[in-house]
Amino acid sequence: MISSKISRRYAKALFGIGREDGNYETYGKCLEEFARFCGENENFFKVISSKIFSTEERIRVLEAVLAKSDFPDVVKNFLRVLLDKDRIGAISGIAQHYRKLTDEVSNITRANIITARPLKQEALEELKQGLEKLTGKTVVPDVSEDDSLIGGVVVKIGDMILDGSVRAQLEGLKESLKRGEYS
Amino acid sequence: MSRDKGLLRIYKKTLLILGTLFLVWAPTAWLWAAEHGGEAAAHDGGAATKDLIARCINFGLMVIILFVVIRKSSMKDFFSSRRESIREKLDELKKGKELAENKVKELEQKLKAFEEEKKRILEQFKAEGIAEKERIIREAKERAKQILEQAEFTIQREMDAARGRLRQEVAELATKKAEEMISKEITDKDQEHLVSEFIDRVEKLH
Repeated sequence: MISSKISRRYAKALFGIGREDGNYETYGKCLEEFARFCGENENFFKVISSKIFSTEERIRVLEAVLAKSDFPDVVKNFLRVLLDKDRIGAISGIAQHYRKLTDEVSNITRANIITARPLKQEALEELKQGLEKLTGKTVVPDVSEDDSLIGGVVVKIGDMILDGSVRAQLEGLKESLKRGEYS
Repeated sequence: MSRDKGLLRIYKKTLLILGTLFLVWAPTAWLWAAEHGGEAAAHDGGAATKDLIARCINFGLMVIILFVVIRKSSMKDFFSSRRESIREKLDELKKGKELAENKVKELEQKLKAFEEEKKRILEQFKAEGIAEKERIIREAKERAKQILEQAEFTIQREMDAARGRLRQEVAELATKKAEEMISKEITDKDQEHLVSEFIDRVEKLH
């Protein structure tokens, strides 16, 4: 397991280059696309990240994929360096850290919105605006559903959690009953 | 001094007795000699008289010798020492009697003191016994009180724990039941309302 520190270091290196040439957003998209590709193609990821195969063999496989991509040369070279340094296995973490860096620069924050039932677009927009007012940043919502919430919605932004679910209210009610606050 | 006077008196009495005996015996002997002398005179003449006189002289000498011998002998010392030893013995016995009496008095005093000590010890033991009894009773009461308090505390704690467990069970069941009911009854409209409330709360946070 490659540590988060190493992932952050590589992400910062590429981000620095991107800030200099003004293409940091493009590089970020490319990184995310490659990370998603690795996640979707498990065998490919195993080959390029496993030391069972020689470096030359792994580079050949990587090159075959990169040849079919339209990634900038900087990104391609970055991926080659990762493979050469045996850090390609951390591509997911690197892409995540890179996204955080681009979000910081772009004043963007990502909100993980979990809802019990599908949200209407108007409600989502209202919620997004409310969260933007709260954080002072552009909120990029990532909506998912979880029927165990019973009703309501839960928002996670970084370390902050806003829980407006029925389950949370029931838990609060249960704790109050246990403490005898309603006796 | 008084002893010498006593001895002199004894000697005088002895001489008096011996003189009396001699005076009684001499005429009797004289008469007897005169009675038989007539007959003897016929035979022997004055030979019997001579014999009597010789006997009297002999007797007198014997008395004198006895007197002298007795006076010179240690009889006097013997009796004197005997009396002295008897007196000493009497004194010793008297002293012994006094000592014994003193001893008796001393023993009586000791006995009395012993009795008083015995009485005092008995009273002390009795007092200590009473105090010990009171202490034991007091401690037993305190212990009983402690046990009661502990029991009450334990009962209260158990009741609190039972109440807590019951409250938890009730809370669990109530929330479970509420969850089931809400899950069954909740509608899209309710969800919209919940989301709307949530958005209002988020905006108020700002």
